[in-house]
Amino acid sequence: MKKLLITSLVLALAGCSLLMPKKVEANTNINGTVESRCTVNTDTVGYYGNPNAYTLTTLPASAGQVPIVRIDSSLANAYKAQISYPTSFSSSPSLSDTVVWTGAVAVAQTSSTDMSGYQAASTTADGGAMRIYPLTIAGTTWFSVSSQATYGGGQQKAFPGGSYTAVVVAECVAQ
Amino acid sequence: MIRLLALWALLQQPSYSSSYIFGYTGNAALDSLSWTMTTPILGVSVEEGLDISGVIYNYTAVKEVEDDFTVTIQNENVDGGYIFQETDDWSGKHGMRIQKVIPLPYTPIEEFGDGSIATTGTGSVEDASVLYMYRFDGCRNPQNDKSCPGYVEPMPVIPKIEIYDALDDDAVIDATEKTDSDLYEKEEEEERKEEDEEEDENRLELAMAASENALTIANSVSQSVLLQTINNATNVNTYYAAKVPGGIYRESISLDGGEVVDNRKALRSLAQDNLHNQMIEEQYK
Repeated sequence: MKKLLITSLVLALAGCSLLMPKKVEANTNINGTVESRCTVNTDTVGYYGNPNAYTLTTLPASAGQVPIVRIDSSLANAYKAQISYPTSFSSSPSLSDTVVWTGAVAVAQTSSTDMSGYQAASTTADGGAMRIYPLTIAGTTWFSVSSQATYGGGQQKAFPGGSYTAVVVAECVAQ
Repeated sequence: MIRLLALWALLQQPSYSSSYIFGYTGNAALDSLSWTMTTPILGVSVEEGLDISGVIYNYTAVKEVEDDFTVTIQNENVDGGYIFQETDDWSGKHGMRIQKVIPLPYTPIEEFGDGSIATTGTGSVEDASVLYMYRFDGCRNPQNDKSCPGYVEPMPVIPKIEIYDALDDDAVIDATEKTDSDLYEKEEEEERKEEDEEEDENRLELAMAASENALTIANSVSQSVLLQTINNATNVNTYYAAKVPGGIYRESISLDGGEVVDNRKALRSLAQDNLHNQMIEEQYK
């Protein structure tokens, strides 16, 4: 009887050990934030002029205004600026015909003479709508973005009346 | 007790609050690449209490890449040298627009001399803009505001009252000049006095000139007289030395009878003379 009890106890313990997990673990988070050493701000808001029925343009000569984007980088060779002129309206009346988009991105002003080579060193992407500038010097750079939209393709069709909005995308991306 | 003292000390503080005003001046380089730090140029009142804390400038450098070109933005110090100088070296670089912010310690405007954008090399500066960041302390001069500590009530301005003097009035002078005999006489008397004084002066001058001439003449005359006297003495001596023969001249006339009688006619004549004198004196009594 005693042997039977001892055997039962051993079996019970063995069964318990089989039910227990093989290891115990806990996940502890380590949190952190990175504040970008590059900031992007709108220096001058742009708007379209409407020199004729089928054209919207930011040219000052056509009563438009070229938007200026300011990018500040406090760290040299750490970021690149990616700026695109618009290729579509973000809001507009319903358009039944095509819109032809043209535009240009250029360095308008810098905070250092050493940045004067930024435009020459830039590259394009997205079919030329995006221009990429390696920010090799710490400081501030102002970019101008001109934009023009012509309605009706080559047919010079009048834009429907209403409010039109297009967006310039400017980013500071870590290299 | 300490808290009460602290409260009392706080209450003793002046009641004015900070009167700083911050802002930007107008474009100092609007008309020219050199400028003065004056109110018309800066567009703010240049006075005691205005401190400059920085400069924001931008311009477009127009040049060829291969050209050497430098641009210096600067402000002279009135005590000599420069308060700040910032040079952009465009040599071998693309010309383009540049903007910079030059921070400065708060510097009184009184220390700022003329400002300028100076260039060297081949290139030009276009569309230049130079703005000064400032802080204005309205109580640097306590008289700017009644709430400033040390403000002294200004003395009222006393109006200057001009007293009318009829004698200075041209109309009165004209009206009285020809008709007032007293003024005539007075003027004549003054003119006469002036003429007399002038004549006296001339006379005195002539007299002095004459006496001077006389002294000169007398000097030469006295010398000639002296010579003449010496000569005379020499000539006369010969006569003194001459001997008169005989030596004594005796009385040779004698009076006969030895008595001289008075002339009676003469006495009578004297009596008549006396009578005559009395008659003349009677006329004046």
